[in-house]
Amino acid sequence: MDDYLELPSANAEPSKLDEIREDEDLSSEDEDEGPDWTKLPISVRPVIPKRGEKDFEPIVQGGSGYQQHVLNRARTAMLDALRMPRTISSKGISYGIWHPEIARVHVTTARGTHFTSMGHSVARAEGNSTQRALKRLELLPEEALYLVERGSLFCWKYVESSLLNAPGLDGMEGSPMTVQQTFAEMIGREDLTPEKYQVYAYLRRLGYVVTRTKPPTSAYPQAAPFKTRIHRLSLLERMYSSIRSLITSFVGLFSRSLNGWRPIRHIPWLHHNMDYPSIFKNLRFLHSGHSVPLHEKKKSDQPPSPYEIFFNVYKPATPFKKTTPPAPDFSMVVVNARTTPMPTLSELTDLFEILPELPPPVPRRRLAFVEQKEQRSTTAANSPSQPIPQLSFLGRLITWIYPRAASQIPEPPRKPNPFAVLKAGKKLVIVAVVDAGTTSFFGFRQGMFEEFPMA
Amino acid sequence: MATSLTRVVELRVSNHKAYVWDVDDIAILRAEHHICGVLTGTLPHVSQQNVFLGPPLILLPEEVVLLVQKEFAVLVDDPIAHHTPSTSKLRRWNSDRLVSIRAQMGAVESKEPNKKAESLSEEALRKRREREETKAAAARAKALAEGNTEESTLQDNLFSPSPSSSATPVPPAVDERPATPATSANLLGSLYTVTIPASSPASLPWYSSDGLTYSTLESAKEAGIWTYPSDLHERAKCGVFRDLWENGFYMGGGIRFGGDFLIYPGDPLRYHSHFVGTVIDSPTAALMPMEIVAHGRLGTATKKAHLLCGWDDEKQEVSYYSIEWAGFG
Repeated sequence: MDDYLELPSANAEPSKLDEIREDEDLSSEDEDEGPDWTKLPISVRPVIPKRGEKDFEPIVQGGSGYQQHVLNRARTAMLDALRMPRTISSKGISYGIWHPEIARVHVTTARGTHFTSMGHSVARAEGNSTQRALKRLELLPEEALYLVERGSLFCWKYVESSLLNAPGLDGMEGSPMTVQQTFAEMIGREDLTPEKYQVYAYLRRLGYVVTRTKPPTSAYPQAAPFKTRIHRLSLLERMYSSIRSLITSFVGLFSRSLNGWRPIRHIPWLHHNMDYPSIFKNLRFLHSGHSVPLHEKKKSDQPPSPYEIFFNVYKPATPFKKTTPPAPDFSMVVVNARTTPMPTLSELTDLFEILPELPPPVPRRRLAFVEQKEQRSTTAANSPSQPIPQLSFLGRLITWIYPRAASQIPEPPRKPNPFAVLKAGKKLVIVAVVDAGTTSFFGFRQGMFEEFPMA
Repeated sequence: MATSLTRVVELRVSNHKAYVWDVDDIAILRAEHHICGVLTGTLPHVSQQNVFLGPPLILLPEEVVLLVQKEFAVLVDDPIAHHTPSTSKLRRWNSDRLVSIRAQMGAVESKEPNKKAESLSEEALRKRREREETKAAAARAKALAEGNTEESTLQDNLFSPSPSSSATPVPPAVDERPATPATSANLLGSLYTVTIPASSPASLPWYSSDGLTYSTLESAKEAGIWTYPSDLHERAKCGVFRDLWENGFYMGGGIRFGGDFLIYPGDPLRYHSHFVGTVIDSPTAALMPMEIVAHGRLGTATKKAHLLCGWDDEKQEVSYYSIEWAGFG
């Protein structure tokens, strides 16, 4: 650490890289350990350094001045990074015009990949209404703000076109806007609160595609509805499964071995409903589960709940088509930590009512280390597709006649671990809580205890 | 961090949030007033991550209240302070822009004199010219489609005389030499670096906060741009914040640690916080034993002591109690 004293410059030296690597081992648990700005290289190549170390507290009697020096160095590094201008090549920049009266940015020059997941086309009659409405690309306030902020879009503010015809204004499409002005004017329009913008930018920076859940206008593409998980069987499948179950129960009559865990035999035509789940179900006199409506009745004069799904979030890997967006991967509610209390039961119920049921988590198969290694090497070698082992005719016949044998050939589907399922819940809503610049994300999940009785 | 930087910082208020855009202002707040705020903007050169963020700096409402009460800062009604520019101001802005582009082109040309031109054959040059023409035609058609300019004015716009040009409103020229960056239309079509300005006072001559600054909370409240603190809880938070600040601590938001503030002994850039503070509105407010257990547990797990800060609104005093896991077997 003493070499800092000899090198008081804030520039990142090549030797820093080794230092960063060393720090990886020391990366500590603390969340409040802020980023170490001295390790952010101010260069073209973006490298995200690890968090740095901190001291316990300042020495009261001044010490050697070392602490002050390190602090100044950290501050200088931070401020230098903050001073970096937003520069972009004239061949890569997009241009847009901010129309405050409709709260949209009309994109006049669209460049770059961002527009594959941002903006929507709107037919607007411009100027005099006699003209035919023309389609044009428009951005919502948050989309425009994000692009301006990351230095991809130059925004003009709309001014009367007669003003622009004056000589000396060639190449201008309005009055130029700074990032500050876009923040001041675009936030607060079209339901965009500062909190919502922060969440939007946060997710966007990580590569998620974020769209509005409720389309602000009819021109805004609405996401596809959630798929219902009820899988309809085809006629053939149903016939096959009924025949198969008949055979299974017939064979099962003879081949059943005594199971110490389940001493009661379930023989459908002797004792109706004689297995444990049905017995417990019959004993239950209070309804359980989320299908039962709440006792609490909603009052009609209540103000609208802040818990309303605002953003549809798609994972970066989701194939996203802007004009026909698929059903979202996550639904997100954004609340202000200072003004919004915890959601009430009825608010949560309302949220979950809209949301789809999620499939149970895929059970993880535990593999020995050697197996894992093998698997990795084989998948790397022949990743495309492995041929499915073909059964001989006899094998298939046996499978058909005696299904129990069949189930032993391919591995039986593993039963999900009830605790994993209970933890994952059936439905999920993400609540982003913003407190003056700090964003935290919480997942609220609807449990399904009635489906996994532990007894 | 020269101490001579001291000046009254203008906080840009919009949507009841106070932003700081100027990096020098951020430095002043941090070094002299122990106010850190939260950086929330995208850093343009590392834009795909959330660890390092840049301006704007958003201040906690308590920080704003303290800065205004101590007369370190004034509030500015930011949306209105962006005035509509006059034509002459826009013209100056545009000519500045062209000058900067021209300077960039000059710098590039002097660096590699005609290296490109030599490598390009006459044929390639011709092709490039054709490409540019079709592009220009397309742009014109698009501009026409938008309908905000008429044909004649558009021509004027694109080919209007800049100081050094020959002032010929050439229709798609056949004979024009491609190497002359004479007209501004040519200039704007060439390769250069665009800078998107961040802070308005530094880059927009028509930005003016005259008559839109508020040096007291009361006047800002009257103007409707700032309402914090508006109830007992908010007053209590401001009171506790001020008291801790006067004792030389740095504060950050404590929402991730289950409190109202994180309390640092020095600049959070270099030091860990020692306490998570919870504000209790009044000396008679009820406190559940469960809260003490939860706070004690959480504080210990994060190597901090939990600080209960009780605010007495009548006496304007704070009393502090810290909780730590006692650790008896």
